[in-house]
Amino acid sequence: MTVDHAKPAAVGADRPATERAPAPKARRRSDRDGKWWTPWLFLAPALILFVYFKFIPMITAVTMSFQDVQPYLGNQWVGGQNYGTVLGDEAFHSAIWHTVIIAVGQTVGSMVIGLALALLMEGQSKRLKFLRSAAFLPVVVPIAVVAELWRIMYHPTEDGMLNSILGLVGLGPSGFINDPDTSMVSVIVTGIWRGAPYDMMIFLAGLAGIDRGLYEAATVDGASRWRKILHVTLPGLRSVFSILFVLAAIRGLRVFTEVFLLTNGGPNGSTEVAMTLIYKLGLEQNRLGVGAAGAVLLFLATLVLTLFVQVLRRRRDA
Amino acid sequence: MTAANDSALGLDAVKSPGGRILKFVLYTLLLLVFAGPLLALLVSAFNNVSDPTALSVVPSSPTLDNFGIAFDLGVGMYLLNSFLVVGFGLLLQVVVSVLAGYALARKKFRFMTFVLVAILATLMLPEEILAIPLSLILSDLPVVHLNLIGSLAGMIVPLGAWAFSILVMTEFMKDVPRELEEAARIDGAGDLRIFAQIILPMCKPALGVIGVFGFTMIWDQYLLPLLVSTDASTYTLPLALRTLRIDTNVTPGVIMAASLLALLPSVAAFLFFQRSFVRGLASGALKG
Amino acid sequence: MRKSRWIGVGLTVSALVLSGCSAGPAGTNVAQDTKAPLELWTRTTPGGAGEQATKRLAEAFEKASGFKVQVTAIFDDFETKLAQRAAQRDLPDIVMNDVTQVGTLKSQGLVREIEQGKIKHAAELTEQALKSNQTPDGKLYGLPYSAQASALLIRKDWREKLGKSVPQSWPELVDLAKAFTTGDPDGNGKNDTAGLNATLSTKRGYASWYFSNFLWAAGGDFITEAGGGKYKPSMSTPESVAAVQWFRDLGCKDNVIQPGSVTMPTPATNETFEAGKAGLYVVGPYLLPRFDKALGKDKYEVVPMPKGAKNADVLAEGLSIYMMAGSPNQAGQDAFGDFAISADGQKIGMEGETAFIVQLPVNKNVDIAQVRPDPRWKTYAEIYAKSGHYAPSIPNWTPVRQDTADTVSALIADCKLDTKAELAKLDTKLTTTLQQQGISAS
Repeated sequence: MTVDHAKPAAVGADRPATERAPAPKARRRSDRDGKWWTPWLFLAPALILFVYFKFIPMITAVTMSFQDVQPYLGNQWVGGQNYGTVLGDEAFHSAIWHTVIIAVGQTVGSMVIGLALALLMEGQSKRLKFLRSAAFLPVVVPIAVVAELWRIMYHPTEDGMLNSILGLVGLGPSGFINDPDTSMVSVIVTGIWRGAPYDMMIFLAGLAGIDRGLYEAATVDGASRWRKILHVTLPGLRSVFSILFVLAAIRGLRVFTEVFLLTNGGPNGSTEVAMTLIYKLGLEQNRLGVGAAGAVLLFLATLVLTLFVQVLRRRRDA
Repeated sequence: MTAANDSALGLDAVKSPGGRILKFVLYTLLLLVFAGPLLALLVSAFNNVSDPTALSVVPSSPTLDNFGIAFDLGVGMYLLNSFLVVGFGLLLQVVVSVLAGYALARKKFRFMTFVLVAILATLMLPEEILAIPLSLILSDLPVVHLNLIGSLAGMIVPLGAWAFSILVMTEFMKDVPRELEEAARIDGAGDLRIFAQIILPMCKPALGVIGVFGFTMIWDQYLLPLLVSTDASTYTLPLALRTLRIDTNVTPGVIMAASLLALLPSVAAFLFFQRSFVRGLASGALKG
Repeated sequence: MRKSRWIGVGLTVSALVLSGCSAGPAGTNVAQDTKAPLELWTRTTPGGAGEQATKRLAEAFEKASGFKVQVTAIFDDFETKLAQRAAQRDLPDIVMNDVTQVGTLKSQGLVREIEQGKIKHAAELTEQALKSNQTPDGKLYGLPYSAQASALLIRKDWREKLGKSVPQSWPELVDLAKAFTTGDPDGNGKNDTAGLNATLSTKRGYASWYFSNFLWAAGGDFITEAGGGKYKPSMSTPESVAAVQWFRDLGCKDNVIQPGSVTMPTPATNETFEAGKAGLYVVGPYLLPRFDKALGKDKYEVVPMPKGAKNADVLAEGLSIYMMAGSPNQAGQDAFGDFAISADGQKIGMEGETAFIVQLPVNKNVDIAQVRPDPRWKTYAEIYAKSGHYAPSIPNWTPVRQDTADTVSALIADCKLDTKAELAKLDTKLTTTLQQQGISAS
């Protein structure tokens, strides 16, 4: 196959790569087929939209983080002052800690229960179809409504809904979100309630792609259910696990709405997470620069974490 | 292919009485846990006064007023707006992400990792911070100098830039075996052919996933419609809901009624897309 | 390569953003056009009764003056939309919003000064309302058009059933609250009623907002003036500590505050009173229509808060008309403000059954009893006149409210904390906040 260095002008899409003169090393491309600009052509629509609606605003936001943002009077450069405000806030350290705990708790819980749900609800029957739709409901209900529902369920007296259920098994009434000792667990449980069906969906899609022939073969070999799952299902879900893990990590660090609506970071800052703090310090007080600084810090932390996980995975696969 | 091997746990094949009872108990439990609280939602939509301390299973003062009030407040128009935005937005998302996914999954090229990381990175910045800069861009798009504020288009176009759907498509497209592609190339098929006739059909489950999640994400969106709307005529339903929640004259029953209306389409979407990502006996083995 | 392109874009954008600094002082160099239609933003639910009432006012104004007005209703995230327009340097002409915004709007340069001389009916405004819209330098930046204060709502049927009288002092109030909590006033045999309904979530500083009804009357204060427009924090004074401790005892010792209060914002506490889960609620008059419908007028009564250690001060709030910077029709802005505060304008604003834009009038010449014969309104009006206490108009009241809310809510949530120690911490935080606004006395 000849290498075609045809002029990129042949296709008029916006491709930033065109500035670069095609170098001789293009010859050692690993896909021996198609023009070198084909991938960029496929990527073009995505890239245009991303540049306009994601990258440019992101850069603006980073710029804002170094400014005292006054939309009308004009922004003023303050250097690292906003970062100082965020990092110096005494609630900052505990907020980071809470964020990590809630993120880990929700991620693990949602994935484990989500997988269990998917395995239990896999199948063709009408009954399962109905069940799946019912199990999916927590995802479609607006988060504000979910928070209201859970606040009612968490009512701290003896006849609060969850407390009555706990009472049935002999456990005392809990303060749930109103008690600083149990508030974090309560938030995590609500998060798992919403996150497990979400993960279940993606697991179902992954399960659908597993070769049924492998199950046949395993049965023929006399494998039990457990071994089938361990040796056929789980490996087949590898790509699903990787998406879910990365997405969950990102979602987890950014957790905001359920905490905001259930406890607003209280009681007494026991559920304060990075985003609620950023909101309090920045947006609620109209200090967009501070908010942007906090967001950039959060972004860097997430980026580092994700890259770290990717590196670990590469090393493990190698 | 027996029923026992149609799914990982092969639960469909469990026919023994003990197994059936266990299944029944398990499924009922699941139903109660995940769908139970929402029964309360249903009930309070028909209730006049809501008790903030307990979820009721039976309405204490039944009424259909809540729905009427909700419609009076413009819920019908908001629903329509939501449908338009979701319909076009989802279409845009699917097109953009399958194209991008193909490039990222099946091709190796310079800067591929960089692009992937950049796209992933967009999920890491909270949208509240991006809100004001984004609205500035929308009011004056660079190069083409269009103002998208005040129109539904302003809410639809930015939706195409959603990293989640691209990531999901990429992962699923990676799993298509190379042999199929190579065979096609030997037959002389070009990229477009391969993309449309080999890769895409094998990713139906992924399309189902991004369909459902895209639907729910767009449907629930609140910040973008808030920024783009200049008056209530372009409000979408979740945006209107949030406004309603804070109005002291609007009772919780009305909110629940509106929320109920808001979640029905998402459930419908789920039912629709479910077909694509749960396979069974009939479809046979896709992978060999 | 790609990176450098992005850096280039970033620099361009930053330059554009930074170059915005070159604008002159707010609203001085815009060409005037008295024919330009006035864009009015009001903080109320789109499609709701409040919007309709505003439109009625606008129409009356158009007829009387000839200026054209376009009304837009926005409720949640009003500040975000406004910031968006500010970033585009295209503000609406008039904004009708809470009086507590006056400091923030002024310090961001979004409002222009109102010259009292140009507003004919300004002389008819009550002193109290006028003062609440002045910034510490004595200048007027908002025109009050509605006022309200908090009163004590009591479940009359419960009180009578338990044979208690209307509380005239704070000990009597606690007594009544205890009776409501333990005496099963709704007669359903269950221990599910609470005495005092309190909004103690930290969201939007609600806990502080609610607690102010019990702080000032006890002789305490959040911050006090130290002369020269400077303030110092005062939550550690003996009076403030006593007030906080008293309030805390209600929750931690006597258990008369409704369960779950520390995570309840106003929608939840409104529901609590409405559903008959609590018997006492300190709140403004805007809930009367809703409670009348849900509970019934005969079930609850409206009385002034009993006198505390110092007086019977309760939280006064209000709505103001702000004249935004950069308007091409300043004459129109002035005319609208003038109309809204005139007796006629106030009366139009007070019309309506469920939602009106004027709660209590701010014009001395308008007698509430004439427009609203319901005697409960007169009660509210008297409370406002005698005991209404506005929050100070410092450059940004929000962080002060937020800091105090965090502490008050925490103290009720965690009964193991030490009151004095937490309040001392609060004062340190407040000092920092005041310093950031340049109004700290230390």
